[in-house]
Amino acid sequence: MRISVEKNRCSGCHLCEMVCSLYHLGRINPEKSAVRVAKDDLGSRVHTPSVCRQCKKMACLSGEEVNERAEKKNFVWGGDRAERCPFKALPVFEGHAYHCDLCGGKPRCVEVCTPGALTVSK
Amino acid sequence: MITDRKIAYVNLSDRSVRIESIPVEVRRKFLGGRGINMHVLSQHYTRELDPFSPDNPLIFGAGLLSGTLGFGARMSISAKSPESGHIGDTNIGGDFAAEVVKAGFSHLVIFGKSSELVYLFVHDGRIEIRDARSLKGIDTVETQRQIRSDLGEPKAQVACIGLAGENLVRFSPVRTGVKSAAGRTGMGAVMGSKNLKAVAARGTLDIEIADPDRYLTYYLKTLHKLMSAKWAQALSKDGTPLLFRACNALGFLSVRNNQLTTVGEAGKSLHAEALHRHSSGMLSCYACPIHCRHRYDIKEGTYAGTKGEGPEYGSIGSLGPKLGILDLDGIICLCELANHYGLDTMSMGSYLAWVMELYQRGIITRDTTGLTLEWGNVDAIIELIHQIAHRKGFGDIVAEGRFAHRVFGDASLDYLLEIKDFPIEMTDERLPKSFALGMATASRGACHMRSRASIDVLGLPEEILKKVYGGPVSNRLASYDGKGRMVWYHEVINAASDALGICRFQSVFSSPNGLGYRVYSRLLELAAGLKMTPSEVRAVGERICSMERMLLVRDGMSREDDRLPGRYFEPILEGPAKGHVIHQGEFDRMLDEYYRLHGWNKNGVPKPATLRRLGLDA
Repeated sequence: MRISVEKNRCSGCHLCEMVCSLYHLGRINPEKSAVRVAKDDLGSRVHTPSVCRQCKKMACLSGEEVNERAEKKNFVWGGDRAERCPFKALPVFEGHAYHCDLCGGKPRCVEVCTPGALTVSK
Repeated sequence: MITDRKIAYVNLSDRSVRIESIPVEVRRKFLGGRGINMHVLSQHYTRELDPFSPDNPLIFGAGLLSGTLGFGARMSISAKSPESGHIGDTNIGGDFAAEVVKAGFSHLVIFGKSSELVYLFVHDGRIEIRDARSLKGIDTVETQRQIRSDLGEPKAQVACIGLAGENLVRFSPVRTGVKSAAGRTGMGAVMGSKNLKAVAARGTLDIEIADPDRYLTYYLKTLHKLMSAKWAQALSKDGTPLLFRACNALGFLSVRNNQLTTVGEAGKSLHAEALHRHSSGMLSCYACPIHCRHRYDIKEGTYAGTKGEGPEYGSIGSLGPKLGILDLDGIICLCELANHYGLDTMSMGSYLAWVMELYQRGIITRDTTGLTLEWGNVDAIIELIHQIAHRKGFGDIVAEGRFAHRVFGDASLDYLLEIKDFPIEMTDERLPKSFALGMATASRGACHMRSRASIDVLGLPEEILKKVYGGPVSNRLASYDGKGRMVWYHEVINAASDALGICRFQSVFSSPNGLGYRVYSRLLELAAGLKMTPSEVRAVGERICSMERMLLVRDGMSREDDRLPGRYFEPILEGPAKGHVIHQGEFDRMLDEYYRLHGWNKNGVPKPATLRRLGLDA
């Protein structure tokens, strides 16, 4: 299971970022969210959400002696893992990377994405 | 908690900044946004206060729920208005309010006048005053780009003015993003008078939530219910242009300065569907699930290469049929020009329509205008907009808004359709009586956003209306019965929504299924930890309305100022609303009902008992 992104549908409302931080941390802070909307609000106005692609081969964990299945369930990661992500899909804030744990199987970001830019793919 | 967001007082004359907490009792009385703005404004508002004086406080106020999952994240901007000379208050969407909140602030109160052009930078608990001399004359979109670059903050949100605001054009708005505008009442000109080019915000602070789990659950339930409403779905697809069809078909459109009220079949060129050929998607303000604005790109024709967002129905009407223009692409071009210069599309449309009718009637001629101001002449209007922003030629006169009557002569005011020295907009209210009353009573002068009961157009069963409004209301658009109640209800809930930062389109505006006091009360408790009953939230709306009314009383206004333009007492000459007119006696009956519900006397002045109940000073 992973979250698919169709960027042309993104309206730029940031609700995905807000509910991500709220669900995981109990507070709202779009900087502490695993999904991130890059807004080109003064240019093309096409906004680009990005989120972990749930790669089978996790380049983000390469060189680490860790249990991948356990790490997949964690939300706050070390910032160095973001540097290893080939898709730059792990947002970093104040040294921490924020990783999509799929909210345990029911991603809240997808629930609030009314334009349908974020959907669940099996 | 979000109620801990601060209020900052900035004096641009001596460059001092004072940051204070907002006491919880002030929050409970006024919440935030427009509520606290009016609370602050009322401490400084006098009849004599010159809107361009350094003593005029310019107040930026984020709604209390802006920055949360709040169903929009709006901000009110208030001061004494240089456009009308009375209450200045306007509301803006986009992402700016949320960024101010994320930076730790709720309200900014700006006094004084800087000796040079400056901008404010609000970030994570701090406020800096920065040099903006290099931004002089730069348009509103490029200003935002350059400030982001100057700060090295690509995510900064910027509210700014363009050339028109710098030049004190009386109807210049505060702008953010590509098209969001705190449009009416000339708050951009107040910024210009203070030599304040922009306010930039960047925030990364947590917004703490009182009861996160129950809040998220409640939010999702409310969101899904809201989005299942037909109104929300239609708005998500077509945006506000969907309102044009009914307006034209029923005959309450302003055409050629309200000489007509429909353009008939020709109006198809402005139906919502016509915009789809340019649209490549829908965009949202911060925290909005509805996404009602088009992202557009005109690819061919005279205006090829014009790109932007919107346009809204209010702008289409104001710069379209009101000026005799039915060419959608031409209207979009005018909107874009207005947005870049920082000119309010709606008020400007009203003043342009006024001077075009003066031209039609020979009251002013080409000798004065230097332009052929015939109805529908897009090229002449483009030239005039350039002149207005640059304050050159005839544009320098039009830039004065209603005060241009000093040049045209007092008799010219017979053709400026205005209420409380503030011009009516893109519609004609002779048919829909609730709309007419709402325009007459709006505290900032003629304005549909204070109370427009779009619900009235739907002709819903009267049992449903009775349930929504708490008393009998006719479901006929042309009827006066119960419309005083309808307007009172919408004024109050809209004031509460503005205090919370919630968008009109998500509240009870065009659909009875919109959010109401019960939802507001619940959101306040779960998000902000503020326990207030639905009736206490309603009382905030009532308090704001009565407080604004008291400001108008300070200006010497009363019942006789809650009146409609002379043209509304002449029957509509043709079209589907032919013969509709306002009858003074019936209008007075609505007004009496409206005053009674607000707790105001027959002169429209809040009664001492009302002020006591609401905890307001006389």
